Amino acid sequence: MILDVRNVDYFYKSQKKKQILKDVSIGFEEGRFYTIVGQSGAGKTTFLSLLAGLDTPVKGNIFYNGEDIQIKGLNFHRKHNVSLVFQNYNLIDYLTTEENVKLGGNKNPETLLREVNIPCEDWKRNVLQLSGGQQQRVAIARALASDAKVLLADEPTGNLDEATANEIIALLKLTAHELGKCVIVVTHSKHLAEEADEIIQIKDGDLMFHTESEN
Amino acid sequence: MNSFQLAVRSVIRKPVKSILLFLVVFIISLFLLSGMTSKNASVATQDKTRQAVGAGFLLAENEANRHTRIDEVLNKLGENVEGSLDGVLVEKLELAGGTSWRVSTDNSFETLRMEDIEEIASVSGILDYNLTTAVTAVNPVNFSRIEDSDVDQSSDILGVSLIGNKKMEMDSNVLSGNVTIKEGRLINADDSNVCVISEELAEKNHLALGDKLKFNDYHDKENSIACEAVIVGVYEVKQKMTPYMWGDTYRSENVIFTDLDFPEKADGNTGNPLYEKAYFKVRNVNQYDSVKEAIKKVDIDWERYDLIDNNGNLETMSSNFNDLENISQMLLVIVIGAGSVILSLVFVFWIKNRVQEIGILLALGTAKVKILGQILLEAFLIAAMAIMLSFTAAPGVSKITANYLVEQQVQQEKEQALLDEGKVAKPFEESEQTVTDVIVAISPQIMLLDMGCIVVMIIFSVGVSGIMVIRRNPKDIFSEMS
Repeated sequence: MILDVRNVDYFYKSQKKKQILKDVSIGFEEGRFYTIVGQSGAGKTTFLSLLAGLDTPVKGNIFYNGEDIQIKGLNFHRKHNVSLVFQNYNLIDYLTTEENVKLGGNKNPETLLREVNIPCEDWKRNVLQLSGGQQQRVAIARALASDAKVLLADEPTGNLDEATANEIIALLKLTAHELGKCVIVVTHSKHLAEEADEIIQIKDGDLMFHTESEN
Repeated sequence: MNSFQLAVRSVIRKPVKSILLFLVVFIISLFLLSGMTSKNASVATQDKTRQAVGAGFLLAENEANRHTRIDEVLNKLGENVEGSLDGVLVEKLELAGGTSWRVSTDNSFETLRMEDIEEIASVSGILDYNLTTAVTAVNPVNFSRIEDSDVDQSSDILGVSLIGNKKMEMDSNVLSGNVTIKEGRLINADDSNVCVISEELAEKNHLALGDKLKFNDYHDKENSIACEAVIVGVYEVKQKMTPYMWGDTYRSENVIFTDLDFPEKADGNTGNPLYEKAYFKVRNVNQYDSVKEAIKKVDIDWERYDLIDNNGNLETMSSNFNDLENISQMLLVIVIGAGSVILSLVFVFWIKNRVQEIGILLALGTAKVKILGQILLEAFLIAAMAIMLSFTAAPGVSKITANYLVEQQVQQEKEQALLDEGKVAKPFEESEQTVTDVIVAISPQIMLLDMGCIVVMIIFSVGVSGIMVIRRNPKDIFSEMS
């Protein structure tokens, strides 16, 4: 297990009665593509935030390669263990395409941009001048720039048309299966969910299903 | 990509926020520099004024001691005895009502002793000295005096007043700035039989430089010998000189300044001078107190004299410009306080507008302190440019500010003087405080101080506004983004 979630509880400090996650335990492996599905407010994004080290569970622990992520600190976890892709791309608006990728890590940005099909004439352009699909591909390239073994994505196809979404799904699958990373994607998209190796459904704070996809 | 690279790109590629901060820092820096230079300018002006007016000591007769000395002479002469001793004359007068005794003194009794004056003048630290005679009434022989036509002149002696000076430039009327030369020159120590007259007297008698005025003893206008003095200067006054006594003889326009020896000659008392005041000019105003102590140690009969600090004018100016220093200080405090608040607001605006960027950097594992460090770095880059530009603009702005503050001070002083007019008696003649120029200089120390202040203000402001980043959970920041 590259990521191991054990007995995690979570609720907002202002709403203690409403428990978001209840005694959640689950493990994630490298080279596999996971999707997390569920209704709005079910706790999918919260769960992803905990995996990303953006927040801490009220109870329970999250282990990376067998080590509690709190030991080396959440900053270290975010910097070295996981990389993130967001629905709204979250690229830095005053940097070029290439510079945004460089932010992610030390890997050659040109190689990565080529891998995610960004034409070289766009590399030096301000990243906001690219289309939505291109920006999401840049975000994935930035995530791939780091040596992190886990890629976490929150609704990566939420703002994209179907064709572009398929390209992104293909890219994520490739990341999992060919680059050997553990890819965990939160999505509302049934289509994207069905592409995963495993689908995890969150309902009322519990992991209701933990079913293996047919893919 | 390191923080410096990011900071440079942010500064260049997000110009609106950069320009905003640039302008704020530029203005703060200008005000700081203006405040600091005004503070220094005020001190410089004060010192300059002190040196220009000069500080000194006035030696005058002690009135109480004079009475004591008369009593001592009378005791020596004995009761009800006519006679003269040590400059005191006792006369018996037989009047209709009975016998009366008149006691009078001559110049030898009243005058300051020349040997005492020279002793004091020899004290180290005394640059120069002046002697001034008593106001001496004499008869104008070949010219007319100024008279008030509405006043009955029958009880006046119909004379004019002579004031003799060793060096007229140190006469109290000249030192105070009340008397200034309109034409010609002041009287010097080596002058003899010269005079400086009022512009009114010159106008009335159509007198010009080089003309000669004749005077004689008013007690015996017909027979006494007339003495001639050449006019070397014409003076004007800012305010009429206070008359020594009642009557047009002593009115300001009829006061004639002469060389030191002339009054005794015109009065028929040659060789018997009456020196009323001596002024000792201190070489270095900063050594004023030590010179004063040295003077007090001079071995003369100090009971005869009053040694008066003649720095009343200086104290007035000093306090005036100290107020300016205080105002400059207040300006600095206000600028630093208001500047810190404005800078904090600018950085709050910055951070609010950069929530997404902060969130992204947090997601990439950048520490919060490093994120604030990048913001600080950006601020320093912009501030450095703004400060450099302010250094070039500051001399002009500082000059305007300093002039404005000085004008305000002088104006305030004038208004206060008007309010105090007739209410406050002062033991000295006040000088008119005309500020012709205010010198401001931006020294390297001021530049460093300015930079230091701005650096501290920026660190403080980033720290204050950074609390909203430091205290927040990355997830909350992402929630705000979404």
